[in-house]
Amino acid sequence: MLISARLYLQSSLLIPLIISGLTSKAILFIMLYSMMNSEVLAGLAINSAQRSIAIAIADEPPDLSSLTTTDSLSIMILGHVVEGLVGYDAHNQLSPAVAERWQIDDKGATFWLRKSARWSDGKPVTAHDFIFAWQTALAPKTGAAYASILYPIRNAEAINKGKMPVDKLGVVAKDDHTLVVSFEKPTPYFLGLTAFVTYAPIRRDFYMKHANSYGAEAEKILYNGPFVIDEWVHGASLQLKKNPHYWRRAQVKLDTIDIPYITSDPGARYNLFKAGSIAFAGLNAEVLKDALKNRYKIRRFVDGVLFFLEFNHRPNRITANLNLRRAIQAVLDPDVLVNKVIGIPGNIPGKSLFPKWLKGVHQQFRVEYPAKEVERDYDLARHYLAQAKQELGLESIPPLVFLTGDSPNASKEAEYFQRVLKRHLGIDLKIDKQIFKQRLARMKAGSFDIVSAGWGPDFDDPITFGNLFASWNENNHGQYRNSEYDRWVAVAENTIEPQRRMAAMAEMQRILIDEVALVPLYERGTIYLQHERLKGVARRIFGGDPYFGFAYIE
Amino acid sequence: MAASRNINFTTDDFKLIDRGSQDIEYLVAEGPSLSYWREAWCRLKMNRRALLSLFTILFLLLFTWVGPWVWTLDPARQDLVQISRAPHLGISALVVDDNFNWSGVIADNELTVNHRHVESLSVEVINNEEVIDNSVLSDDASYSEGLAAPSNLRVVDKPNTEYVRLTWQPVVGAARYLVYRNERQPESATDLGVPLWETDTARDVSYQDRLKLEAITYYYSVVATDGLNESNHYAVIQVDVQQAITFSDAVYSEVLPPEASKLDSIGRMVELQAHPLGTDYLGRDMLSRLMLGARISLFIGIVAPFLYLAFGIIYGSVAGFFGGLLDEWMMRFADFVIALPFLLFMILFKVSFGIGPGESGVIPMLVAMIVLSWPSMARLARGQVLQLREQPYIEAAKLFGASSWHMVFRHMLPNMLSVILVSLTFAIPAAIFTEAFLSFIGMGVVPPTPSWGSMSHDGMKTLMTHPHELIFPALFISITVLAFNILGDGLRDALDVRIRE
Repeated sequence: MLISARLYLQSSLLIPLIISGLTSKAILFIMLYSMMNSEVLAGLAINSAQRSIAIAIADEPPDLSSLTTTDSLSIMILGHVVEGLVGYDAHNQLSPAVAERWQIDDKGATFWLRKSARWSDGKPVTAHDFIFAWQTALAPKTGAAYASILYPIRNAEAINKGKMPVDKLGVVAKDDHTLVVSFEKPTPYFLGLTAFVTYAPIRRDFYMKHANSYGAEAEKILYNGPFVIDEWVHGASLQLKKNPHYWRRAQVKLDTIDIPYITSDPGARYNLFKAGSIAFAGLNAEVLKDALKNRYKIRRFVDGVLFFLEFNHRPNRITANLNLRRAIQAVLDPDVLVNKVIGIPGNIPGKSLFPKWLKGVHQQFRVEYPAKEVERDYDLARHYLAQAKQELGLESIPPLVFLTGDSPNASKEAEYFQRVLKRHLGIDLKIDKQIFKQRLARMKAGSFDIVSAGWGPDFDDPITFGNLFASWNENNHGQYRNSEYDRWVAVAENTIEPQRRMAAMAEMQRILIDEVALVPLYERGTIYLQHERLKGVARRIFGGDPYFGFAYIE
Repeated sequence: MAASRNINFTTDDFKLIDRGSQDIEYLVAEGPSLSYWREAWCRLKMNRRALLSLFTILFLLLFTWVGPWVWTLDPARQDLVQISRAPHLGISALVVDDNFNWSGVIADNELTVNHRHVESLSVEVINNEEVIDNSVLSDDASYSEGLAAPSNLRVVDKPNTEYVRLTWQPVVGAARYLVYRNERQPESATDLGVPLWETDTARDVSYQDRLKLEAITYYYSVVATDGLNESNHYAVIQVDVQQAITFSDAVYSEVLPPEASKLDSIGRMVELQAHPLGTDYLGRDMLSRLMLGARISLFIGIVAPFLYLAFGIIYGSVAGFFGGLLDEWMMRFADFVIALPFLLFMILFKVSFGIGPGESGVIPMLVAMIVLSWPSMARLARGQVLQLREQPYIEAAKLFGASSWHMVFRHMLPNMLSVILVSLTFAIPAAIFTEAFLSFIGMGVVPPTPSWGSMSHDGMKTLMTHPHELIFPALFISITVLAFNILGDGLRDALDVRIRE
């Protein structure tokens, strides 16, 4: 792939050769040249005549079934091809999608669906399609990882645990275009949930036809979003075409989103951008200098993900000791980590489980409820450590296992933590580098003392972070248990009144910092390049990022 | 000693020459001969490349084992003031306060700026020489939605590598501001460089930059946005950043005495720790890491070949000496071992040794090398033994009734020694290379222990920006491997009797 891009750059050099005289060699060159050219033209970053753009993705989308998908890449693709009740507008605010309007109260919600919403085969999207999708996602045999996001609907949890049949789900279609949902308990953030991909509709007859392979091929998905997947060559390329039946098709400015390159190497993606083969590329520290030299316009985006150190709170672990955790908290400095060790622009030093961008009652949550500042205090840290040793009855702290990812940055950060703990506390850190799947398995099994974890929000409410440390949450891999914390989570989840909810969230924030359930490291920021003629690309925390549904070529 | 020549030998001809005499001359002249080893040494001395290699190796051993006594810097020490620093012998730096908390500047209405009174702002006396207010207004007036460029963009406090503090006047109609940093003078609104920050509100009219600052000239730009689109107008300021070190870092890295008072020290100039070979991506000293890394590399490189050569020699000699069915079976087993894949067994050993994640894989690496690398030496030894067994002097010894013991130690081993020595000098660089390769792919040493291989791996990531982090360990690996190879060549030439003729 990279080679064809390089040839394209060199093709201008061939022109003088052609003019200078057509020897047999030159003819061969021309043939090669034209072959290359036709191949390369299809892969141009932007083509205003055909209203198409080309982008690259890091991996083959692992799972394009909206029922079972969990990864951000699949959600990015699905964000373009399926549409739920509500979506996000160009300003990243919730806006009507399949639902024209809605009404939500303590007991439930009613959605009025627009009659113009169509599947890619021209049939209308109806309320039954939503009911079918939600019931299927909750059916235990589907094994949907995100089924719990449907739990606010009445009986959803019981159905998912196999205690009730799926038809007991608290949702009915009053008619084809009116969907009535009843809640298990008041859910103030329900509207945001309905924009999540698991809430997307699926049509029964189509799903039944492909039951086991739904989402495995381009033709085995039924689309209702602004685009359809026209072609999907596994492991090689994807092509999205504008959906001719989409209700808002007049507003979709691009006809084609071509994904001819799948490469996880950021350097390769940058070179593709440089060669004019793709219109959008992320930057890392290695290629940043080159991008600056080329005078590209560099953009910044905070993608909403928080990275933190999570302790193993299981009672048999040494990290279950509060004073040990306090000692570690007092020596780690996220500001130094972000500015000196990571050194990539865009990241924000972490101060709380709740990132800066989360909305509170009127303004940002963290403006309304600032997180308690943790001062770096090495003397205090040693004091805590001495106390911890006494409580644990240990002469010295045995080496701690630090579970982390296998990326270059992860090991750099790990080596920094290793040094800081050794220098200030005399604690040895054993670095356990694992690929994502393996790391997740170890996190679930609890075979770590400290793990470097990241959490991306699922919906626009602080509780998406807050319930992460609830004792019942499956993603609470450190098994942090605190009944007071659980109580506040329950308040935040079951109350409708924003003031009380945010106050509960503030209590959760206080407990987490006081009890050192985690050490927040940074809120991830990214820097990226975008073709100068490509406008209106939405970078967003929810609903799949980046989003080209509003994009146009100037 | 050519048999074709018809010379009457006397016992004098076989006398060893005096120790003190110039032995090189005797090599060419006929007459009293040298002992085998002395002669080989003379030959080696004449081979200048081999001699140079020998000295290189001696230097490396000194570098590894004596070096840390001379250059006492802790290789695990992370000097975050000097990350990825190119080689230098000392830079002076300004001592600054550790407290970076700067609450910034908040505009209390749209057009006036009110400095929130904070401690650190009490020193906010702006030296006019330092503030270069060359705010540029883009002359593109056709951009109707364009907000004006922020005016009076200036630096607060002395800009240094620990912080650069900027403030500017608010712009009417702006929702937020974006702060950019570039290392060259921007040419247009699309060339402002790295986006550092977007303020939360229009009232935030300041920013403190701490991101990997170097002691160079930066161009900071500030652009107003309406929340969605950036203005085409930008203000830019040139900032010359001075090298600085925080007070606590200065005490920690011993450029200030431990009893230094904070009040007196701040504002002083100190000399930073010198790094003759630069620092790596976490500010660790390359020289001391190379010394420590050499220890791992040379340890593996010397111990592993010694052990597996010893085993191979014994195994091969036994097979060759006794011959027959035993030889047949032993050599088939050696063939079997040769066929085993090294990397796979390396991983298997690591697992079966119970080496958990985050623990050093050096011992399993050593075991894997010994267990899997001996057969080639065994073959060589067997071949030698088979050849020697048929020699007339062995038969003579047998006739005299010499024991097997005597024959092995008196006749066979000394005659095999040259082959062994040459094999050893070639096995060492191969082992060093294997260690480097395994550490490179993360199978060998674990952080914080460095080895040349793992250092190369780390250096590769910053090849484009800080090439010294790769070049130095790679150079050391190359020189070592080359030196051992050339020495091996030289030894072979020196020890091979046939070349003499």
